[in-house]
Amino acid sequence: MNGFGALAPLLIIVGAALVILLLDAFLKKDNKNYLACLSLFFLVVCAVFCLRSWNKNLSYFEGQLRLDNLALFLAFLFLIAVAFVMFIGMKYLTLQNVPGGEFYGLLLLALSGLMIMTSSLNFIVIFLGLEVLSVSSYALAGLKGKDEKSSESAIKYFLMGSFASAFLIFGLALLFGTAHSLEISAVLSSFRANFEGQLLGLVGLGLVIIGFAFKISLVPFHMWTPDVYEGAPTPVTAFFAVGPKAAGFAVLFRILAPYWNEGFKSGRIFDVLWTVAALTMLIGSLIGLRQKNIKRLFAYSSIANAGYMLIAVLAGDGASLIFFLTVYLFMGIGAFGSLIALSKKDREYTDLEDFAGVGFKYPWLGAIFSVFLLSLAGFPPTGGFLAKFYVFVGAVRQDLTSLVIIGVLTSLISAFYYLRIIVYMYMREPERDVDIEIENPALFLVLFLCLYGVLQLGIFPGNVLYVIRQAAASLF
Amino acid sequence: MMILLFFVLSVICVGSVLGMIISKNQAYSALFLVLAFSCLGGLFGMLGAPFMAVVQIIIYAGAIMVLFIFVIMMINLRKGISPERKKWTLAVSAVISVVLLAELVFAVLGTPPMPYTAAFSSGTSPTDIGRLLFTKYLYPFEITSVLIIAALVGAIVLVKKREKE
Repeated sequence: MNGFGALAPLLIIVGAALVILLLDAFLKKDNKNYLACLSLFFLVVCAVFCLRSWNKNLSYFEGQLRLDNLALFLAFLFLIAVAFVMFIGMKYLTLQNVPGGEFYGLLLLALSGLMIMTSSLNFIVIFLGLEVLSVSSYALAGLKGKDEKSSESAIKYFLMGSFASAFLIFGLALLFGTAHSLEISAVLSSFRANFEGQLLGLVGLGLVIIGFAFKISLVPFHMWTPDVYEGAPTPVTAFFAVGPKAAGFAVLFRILAPYWNEGFKSGRIFDVLWTVAALTMLIGSLIGLRQKNIKRLFAYSSIANAGYMLIAVLAGDGASLIFFLTVYLFMGIGAFGSLIALSKKDREYTDLEDFAGVGFKYPWLGAIFSVFLLSLAGFPPTGGFLAKFYVFVGAVRQDLTSLVIIGVLTSLISAFYYLRIIVYMYMREPERDVDIEIENPALFLVLFLCLYGVLQLGIFPGNVLYVIRQAAASLF
Repeated sequence: MMILLFFVLSVICVGSVLGMIISKNQAYSALFLVLAFSCLGGLFGMLGAPFMAVVQIIIYAGAIMVLFIFVIMMINLRKGISPERKKWTLAVSAVISVVLLAELVFAVLGTPPMPYTAAFSSGTSPTDIGRLLFTKYLYPFEITSVLIIAALVGAIVLVKKREKE
């Protein structure tokens, strides 16, 4: 029973993906929304199984599959994220002529990759999970087959992603050479035991970190982000901003937090990552200032946010990291959902100028979008403020004050570009003719839930924090 | 004898990889790669890993490279892309590759010599590997099948023609 209980969530998701793909192939219906409802059913069943495993620390296959509380909490986040993305996708798919069955099927496969990655302590399994996620993501980015930008983003993502995977697997080979094992714990204890072999191991660990740094777009490896975010279909972009990023950071934390505890906190890897965090925040907020396209702007915003999350990793502060990821899920999907709301048949409005006057023409949408932007900028009483606050406080306790100062300054800079959108929405006369098709209950349900999440986490975060602390505690 | 064989194979291997990079005709590049893979297979065989050696030749040198050559013939690129690079990118890449080489040399020098057979101490016959795949590594093995499905679906999605057009 132990084994099945541990395996069930994954089996359900992979099974759901296959069912959806088959149904799409054999039932040729024009309206694909029933597939979204069916996927939602599977997601709920999976969530129930996850809920039943809470606090049980199930493990299977000699620990290659480990459902500790951290993995379960992240699985919950991913399930919520994918459900939201499917719902905001409903409107997008019909309006922009994107194939539906493949969208839901690939999204579920990507979800299974996310769950495999975060529920293992074995590098081989983590790598395979990452590949399942990446391969599905490449196809998702190119779903708008006719659109040139979408194809460009798929190819760019594919080439850069395979390059990053090559780094990752080379690093794994070096780590296996030093430790003769690919369990994270065994690799780390070989670092402790064997000081002479460290250089080879260090290069290996560095290459592994590079592989993940690509996925979570840390600075020297961020070049793909704006192009892919701009070209990919908007619901897919929302997924990219939330899913792979959370999984990448979770895995990085699983590797690095014990590594810091082994007493390597003043080592070379720490210094390099310190610099990377500073650069990521700076470049994310400075280059974001020049962007006129909202999707590119959000790409730079997601790079800057990766910098803040890296601070939490450096501080070894699991609870703040997970809280940040949770808040980021709601505000990220909310922001991209608002972009989808501002679209009509075969036309998306993503230029900054398109937003002039939108706030008065569509007051509800404008208000909701403004809340997400304020949260991204880090204003109280939204979740974005508390997320940054916890990360910074945790970092100051770990003597990372100078990094926190950079973080505060860059979030001030980036507040400018978030606020600029609000200024455009409310204080500019509309110059272009923007008319949108609003009626879509699913989209507005998601926007409302995201709004609720952002405000709940900003005002009464207590219950969620309690659960997150339990999840973070399962690491050690 | 083994040492001699090792050097012969490694020299051919490195040489053919160089040839692959330098040659302007893609078909030659692909054939050079086949040669490199075959030599690698020989090296694996010398390390006492017969399964890896055979797989290297059957899968890489055989199946995958035949596919490569098919694609090259179908696309039929006569000329390679003319190397019109800027000087400074060449300089930068030269510097970076020297740094990487130095890093690799340091890493190798800093590592204590490993016992020669350590990595392959247990059985390496196809039977042993098959047994390991279905016992200890069953979970990663099954994930690979999910990975292949994802790749298959993805490839079909990207190249298929839309019905409505």
